[in-house]
Amino acid sequence: MTSPAATASAQPTHSRATILKVDRLSYRYSSGQWALADVSFEIGLREVVGLVGPNGAGKTTLLMHLNGLLFGVQRPMAQSAVTGVPPVAPAAIAAGSQGKTGGAVEVLGLAVSPATAPEVRRIVGLMFQDPDDQLFCPTVGDDVAFGPKNLGFPKDEIKRRVAEALAGVGLTGFEERSPLQLSFGERKRVCLAGVLACEPDLLALDEPSSNLDPRSRRGLIEILRSCRAAQLIATHDLEMILDLCTRVLVLDGGRIQADGRAFEILSDEHLMRTHGLEVPLSIQLGGRKSTLPGK
Amino acid sequence: MRADFLDRYARGNTVFHRLNPRTKLLLVLLIVIGVLLTPVGAWPVFGCLACGVYAALVIAEIPTKYILQRIGLLLPPVLGLALSAPISRGFQGGWELAATITCRSLLTFSAGLWLVNTTPFETLLGAMARLGLPNRFVELLAFMYRYTFVVFDELARMRTGQRSRTFSKPGLFALWISNASLLGMLLIRSLNRAERIHGAMCSRGWTGRMPEQS
Repeated sequence: MTSPAATASAQPTHSRATILKVDRLSYRYSSGQWALADVSFEIGLREVVGLVGPNGAGKTTLLMHLNGLLFGVQRPMAQSAVTGVPPVAPAAIAAGSQGKTGGAVEVLGLAVSPATAPEVRRIVGLMFQDPDDQLFCPTVGDDVAFGPKNLGFPKDEIKRRVAEALAGVGLTGFEERSPLQLSFGERKRVCLAGVLACEPDLLALDEPSSNLDPRSRRGLIEILRSCRAAQLIATHDLEMILDLCTRVLVLDGGRIQADGRAFEILSDEHLMRTHGLEVPLSIQLGGRKSTLPGK
Repeated sequence: MRADFLDRYARGNTVFHRLNPRTKLLLVLLIVIGVLLTPVGAWPVFGCLACGVYAALVIAEIPTKYILQRIGLLLPPVLGLALSAPISRGFQGGWELAATITCRSLLTFSAGLWLVNTTPFETLLGAMARLGLPNRFVELLAFMYRYTFVVFDELARMRTGQRSRTFSKPGLFALWISNASLLGMLLIRSLNRAERIHGAMCSRGWTGRMPEQS
């Protein structure tokens, strides 16, 4: 159920050139439960979009579709969603489980499928919520170099990318350190460096600021602000959304419930409360008047 | 679990720390083979080897207390194994064999202790790869080293959570039951984590072959 006000305000924020197009994406867990139902949206080049919603809304599942870790199905156009279970043809579900999708997710015009996943992963960088899931190499330098090495770059280029990515997250000189010796905030920054080193055009970030102390969180926001790639940030940190994003998507029950300007969506008390969220304190207290990043 | 549980003194600066890691690896391999080939009851040879290994540990500035603590962890299973020799002979001999098994275990263990405490683990992995060990084996060791700590920390957190809701001293049976479910849960969590790690690797372009370790 998309909020009318939100939909109306969504139009001006869409960029003409899109990097990501999600069209009627549905995904069902092996248990039979629908995680995503009929999700559609687009993200423009260099656009920074927030993805909010209660726990279990399907945010992480959605992000995993963006670089081919999961493959959903595209719901047939003619059938309309009523409630709960979306009417997906059994054939389409079978095709989805085998990974033959018909462009439910497109990245720079490329339909995400097992065949295109390697190419898609060059374009979309995914950062996981728990840094221990992402940092597996014995040293920070090896870990940041993992992506560029897989992309087959020559040694000099890998070195340059590692140095640049670590400098970008303020961890120059950490190359030889073991991830075991780092604080949680530092590990999170190394994860981001590992993704940035692949120089993706779209960053998909899963709870980037969770469990960070205020200083680390502020540092991360500044890093993301200086980043030129388009971003989709799944988070419960609504203040961060207001700091970084021009647009926000509300996901609840596996469906996009609202899509529009961040300030207008996040200040809609009824919408926020309906979907297990609340109006950020800075708006409640009247301190925040706009969502232009940097203000 | 402390991050330096395995290699607390590996980042020292003694002559052994500066030695080429491949040389150290081969040296330890040589000692292990030598110890295993030493015949049962050749006490002078064991004595000489023990003196050599202990001297190497001292020169590498690894504290004796730390060595004894680590040996203490190894001793119960080794003694259990060693005692099987006299037990199988109804305590009518086999004592010399038991002592030899203990000596061999302690010596090879101490040599290994010297190796991991004079060489950071990632350097050791690089040395193994350069010595021609199969890549899969080196990768397995790298993952084991990286995630041993994560899994142990997870176990510690689960145990803390369990203890915080234990209000009386549980009986032995109840303790076994709850520990068994703890371990089962840890296994499932580890499998889930492995899946997430695999996903994270794929999302950075992994295609089934690890790029060369630098």
